[in-house]
Amino acid sequence: MNQMTDLSNTDSNLMLRVTDLTHRVSLETDTLTILQGVSLEINRGESVAIVGRSGSGKTTLLGLLAGLDTPTEGTVELDGAVISKLSEDERAKLRARRVGFVFQSFQLLPALTALENVMLPLELGGTEAPEQRARELLDRVGLGERLNHTPRQLSGGEQQRVAIARAFASDPAILFADEPTGNLDNRTGQAVSDLLMDLNREQGTTLVMVTHDEHLAERCGRQLHIEAGVLTEPDLAGEPAH
Amino acid sequence: MRASNKLMSVSRDWRERDVRVVLVALIIAVATVATIALFASQLQRTLVSSASSFLAADRQLEAENGRPIPPEWLENAQSRGLETGRMVEFSTMVFGESGFQLVSVKAVSDEYPLRGEIEIQSGAAEPRQIVSQGPGPGQVWVNPRLLRLLELDIGDTLEVGNLKLEITRLLIREPDGGFRLSSLAPRVMMHVDDVAGTGVVQEGSRVEYVYLFAGAEGVLEDYYQWLEPQLEPSHEWEGVRDGETFSRSLERAERFLLLGGSLAVLLAAVAVAVASRQYALSQRDTVALLKTLGLSSRGIGELYLRRLTLWGVVGVLGGLAVALPLFWLLVRLLSDLLERPVDFYLDPSALTPSLLTALVSLFAFAYPPIRRLRNVPAMRVLRSQPGETGREAIPDILLAVVAVFGLVWMYAGELMLVAALLGGLVLLLGVLGLLGWGMVALLRRVKGGGNSWRLALVGLYRHRRASMAQMAVFAMTLMLAATLVLVRSSLLDDWQAQLPDDAPNHFLINIAPDAVDDVEEFWATRGAPLETLYPMVRGRLTELNGEPVKEAVSKDERVGALNRELNLTWMPELPEDNRIVDGQWFGPGETEGVSVEAELAEKLGLQLGDRLTFTIGSSKVTEPVTSIRTVQWDSMKPNFYMAFPPDGGLTDMPATWITAFYLNPDNKLALNDFSRQFPTVSVLEIDHIIDRIQQIVQQVTQAIEAILALILAAALVVMAAVVSATLRDRQREGALLRTLGGQQSLLARSTMLEFALLGFFAGTLGVIAAEGAVYALQAGMFEGTFRWHWQVMLPVPLIAAILLALFGRWQLRPVLSVSPMLLLRRLE
Repeated sequence: MNQMTDLSNTDSNLMLRVTDLTHRVSLETDTLTILQGVSLEINRGESVAIVGRSGSGKTTLLGLLAGLDTPTEGTVELDGAVISKLSEDERAKLRARRVGFVFQSFQLLPALTALENVMLPLELGGTEAPEQRARELLDRVGLGERLNHTPRQLSGGEQQRVAIARAFASDPAILFADEPTGNLDNRTGQAVSDLLMDLNREQGTTLVMVTHDEHLAERCGRQLHIEAGVLTEPDLAGEPAH
Repeated sequence: MRASNKLMSVSRDWRERDVRVVLVALIIAVATVATIALFASQLQRTLVSSASSFLAADRQLEAENGRPIPPEWLENAQSRGLETGRMVEFSTMVFGESGFQLVSVKAVSDEYPLRGEIEIQSGAAEPRQIVSQGPGPGQVWVNPRLLRLLELDIGDTLEVGNLKLEITRLLIREPDGGFRLSSLAPRVMMHVDDVAGTGVVQEGSRVEYVYLFAGAEGVLEDYYQWLEPQLEPSHEWEGVRDGETFSRSLERAERFLLLGGSLAVLLAAVAVAVASRQYALSQRDTVALLKTLGLSSRGIGELYLRRLTLWGVVGVLGGLAVALPLFWLLVRLLSDLLERPVDFYLDPSALTPSLLTALVSLFAFAYPPIRRLRNVPAMRVLRSQPGETGREAIPDILLAVVAVFGLVWMYAGELMLVAALLGGLVLLLGVLGLLGWGMVALLRRVKGGGNSWRLALVGLYRHRRASMAQMAVFAMTLMLAATLVLVRSSLLDDWQAQLPDDAPNHFLINIAPDAVDDVEEFWATRGAPLETLYPMVRGRLTELNGEPVKEAVSKDERVGALNRELNLTWMPELPEDNRIVDGQWFGPGETEGVSVEAELAEKLGLQLGDRLTFTIGSSKVTEPVTSIRTVQWDSMKPNFYMAFPPDGGLTDMPATWITAFYLNPDNKLALNDFSRQFPTVSVLEIDHIIDRIQQIVQQVTQAIEAILALILAAALVVMAAVVSATLRDRQREGALLRTLGGQQSLLARSTMLEFALLGFFAGTLGVIAAEGAVYALQAGMFEGTFRWHWQVMLPVPLIAAILLALFGRWQLRPVLSVSPMLLLRRLE
């Protein structure tokens, strides 16, 4: 916990700071470098798209940024906390309070209804009156009439809207989205990304999105490219992302 | 944490297929174990009370010293709530109008019999009646043969000593229709209060006082604890367990039930393990998501632990809800089989094994894979992570094996049983490992192709890990089921062999040496040839290596054989069913030595070469122990503790001869001729005892079969659970194959073939392992002789193949009936 307070003094406007991030995985005979010397800073309220082809390392980067995994080298500071110095449970606590997620494959619990899925992070975070907040959010995403439907009874677009409601439920400081429209057709994808962007603006959340969809990326304030584990920012061509 | 509570609700869990399987497995586990334990406890009670009727009580105390026991002994028993009764047995002459006859009188109190029933007739042509009380004062019931011998009829008077008693009934069968060589002449039953009036029983008369006790087992034990220090050598306390004739049958039946229960425990554990592992696999995504949403590892652990506990509660309650009606039905069935009402007896302690089974199944089998869920990386929400290699499960498997075998041990109380099952399983897994290695090597060569055989073989190879796991479970299930079937059949064969239809049902005792040839001829001409005739000399074992035997043998050992006269014999050859376990049988011309029955030798601590002194009348005979042999006490043939060689120590001692033979019931009247022609020879009719034993064996057999059916049903459920565990994968594959143009018939054929092969391999392995386990069990627990069971070994693999093929076809049903498109979406 100390690290959090120490580092939060450095720059109160900084949401995410990545320094010399390198990630390798051991294979049977070889070691594969997935990310190579990534450095990056994202301010509060920014929306950032990380664009790259399949296998470029963008999902790994997202996982490391969100504290789902720890890097081989380098540091990630999320909202003032150095993630690699936190235990797994401390990282979980941090995620519960500060982080929201939207996934390509929705990741709703099939046994829970739409309402219960949205209530889940609220209850994990100890929010009072979780049901009321969940209802409001489902109303906001246009599913006020489908509260008691299970994911199986919902279409892909509807499922992703439930997931978006869930992501904003705990009032996160930062939202990570992994190919949020990747499993949806164009029109549904458009509607879902509209919703995501609108809510992001309304809530003043920092958004970090991984996508290979250029149109979606263009709707973000800032685009980063990743290729073979190296991150670049087009505006500052040739320079490492900053 | 309300989110956890929500996640934990059983009704919501029930929506998940894998949870359903775990819960069903658990419910079946508890239900099977509880039903068997309850039924076994009930059966044991019923059997004991059924067998108790051979004593007309649960226990008998015999006073052979001609004196009644102190009245406070009975009062003490009554104060403990035991039922008591008394009998006086003596031999006397009775007189009718046309003559007299030596009879064996049994005078009984009103309470007689405490267990079992008396069968009587009110006239030779009247129907038989079952009653539960003996004759009242002033009446006698007599053996029909006595009426013929004395030319009397119902309603006539019989003089017993000074009393004239009215013959009111024919006595057909008494529950304790003894198997005692002292019961010589035809039976007369009268009331005990009339005994004094007869004047027959006086100080010093040869009379036996017998006291009957019945009540709860524990109370009887306590009473005996109290009584034992006061007993004299001439007192003999007898229980069903001591009666050599039935104890073995009962013990084996009990062991079988325990074996059945143990197998049920094992099957249950396997079912729960399979289902919960599947469940844990299916939960990995959920756990990754919960971690992503901020739940700590500890929170995950607690969440699933609470969930498991909840399942335990549901499993136990559900299991008992199934077990109790099932138990009730079985008891009803038992009542029908026994043709008499059986008290519904719910033994609370019989529920313990089922609760323990639930606990062990949950925490040794279901918990480990679920506990490992804590280690699922959160990163899994973004990208599928490498799954378990299975290696990390090895310590859990070892723990589970130790736990379940500990449970079986505690449950059956037989280390041998545990060892045999464990050995069988090790053998099974060893063979399975080899076979798996061979299978992988062979199947690798099969290239994918269009025909159903190739598709089936490729399928087996592609799922080799799952195939091996399934095969292990199937083989184990089949092994356990086959073990039970095999033990059952060898148990029944053994019983059948012990008591063939022409087992001797009459004894001839007290044949004078010069009458032996005439007696043999008498029965040979009537088509009922005698078994071997043995000389019989009555004597007491008095000294052991020169020391009085009561001092030589520790006081803790109560050896009934020391308290009474033994029947000694000499024989040139070892009887067919005896076995020498130590030393040598007498060689030709050998005249020295004595052969001792093994159990007695063990109780007395006898070694080869110990010198035994027998007191026979006024003379003493001392001989060294030259061999120790086992005896089939339940063979219904004359058996002897002590056997001498011909012309050995017993030469010149006063001997009479004894033999047994089978007399056809239609030929029964020949006994009258025999009694007239050989008045000094006693005939002991044991045909009704044999009938009862056969009846008991039949009851036990039916009970065993009912339990066997229950366990086979459990085995089927386990197999169904395992097959359906991979349902989703197989359905997805099937849908894909169809999408890619595979024809329905090809798909159906190859799946059925794949499962048939799996079933055949598993069946073969299971049967081989079962033979191993049965071999060990036979050697250790059931004392039978082992032989291969081809009649089981061949069909089991075939039946397993067919069953599994049908299972496979059945689970493929949705793949074949729904469009591939719909199916793929549903499986998404």
